[in-house]
Amino acid sequence: MLNFEDVRRLLPQGHPFIFIDRVLEFEAKRRIVCLKNVTGGEYYFPGHFPEVGIMPGALIGEAISQAAILLFRLSEEAQAGQNGRIFLVGTTRTRFISPVFPGDTLLITVEVVKLFSRSAIVTGRVELEGRLVVKSTLTFSAVSLADVKKSRRVGTPERVAQEVSR
Amino acid sequence: MTSELEKQITAILAEVIEMDEAELWEKRNQRFVEDLDVDSMLALEILAILEKKYRIEIPEENILDLVSLQSTIDFVDRKLKQRVA
Repeated sequence: MLNFEDVRRLLPQGHPFIFIDRVLEFEAKRRIVCLKNVTGGEYYFPGHFPEVGIMPGALIGEAISQAAILLFRLSEEAQAGQNGRIFLVGTTRTRFISPVFPGDTLLITVEVVKLFSRSAIVTGRVELEGRLVVKSTLTFSAVSLADVKKSRRVGTPERVAQEVSR
Repeated sequence: MTSELEKQITAILAEVIEMDEAELWEKRNQRFVEDLDVDSMLALEILAILEKKYRIEIPEENILDLVSLQSTIDFVDRKLKQRVA
């Protein structure tokens, strides 16, 4: 349905932090199914772990989040949406059921539980060859990029020096 | 806690905001955001859990009615009575 170039255009994240390869199914404001091919060439495998490559659970959670972002971005496109917003996860309850290795193909399904004006609660399920490997519930908030930039903590060189010298 | 509804909602909220049930019950008139460090995202989560558990609809603007454990219990109680009526 959508290829990697479409995914890359829709997500606010960029390389090397995109964890969705394709969108397979989509129903506006309801559901999305995405695919992620996990290859041995992923940049994190040399460190996680040197003895055996395992996809970090936090990054599988990120893949669920990105599927949710695509669901909302596509839903907005379907009805003349807004730009300049990013989605921040506020709460997450996640169960990691079994590990993900290089060579695995993940099917990531995100369904809307409840939509609010500027937030949403979604469930995510990650399946590998028909087996559930991760399930998660996320609460998201859409915020403007400008507001995030304004709220960023900025340390002056003097302040950093003080903090280091403590 | 006397009624079943009070016990259920206290247990649900205690789990979401990660507080001991007895302590939350004691603080049932304290405000979630100002006194108990509940942020707006957790408040939305509470709203969605209550909707699912009691099969009631809680419009987003009613989040202002869910300011404490006691007000949440009262709100759900009213909603359930409206449904029966």
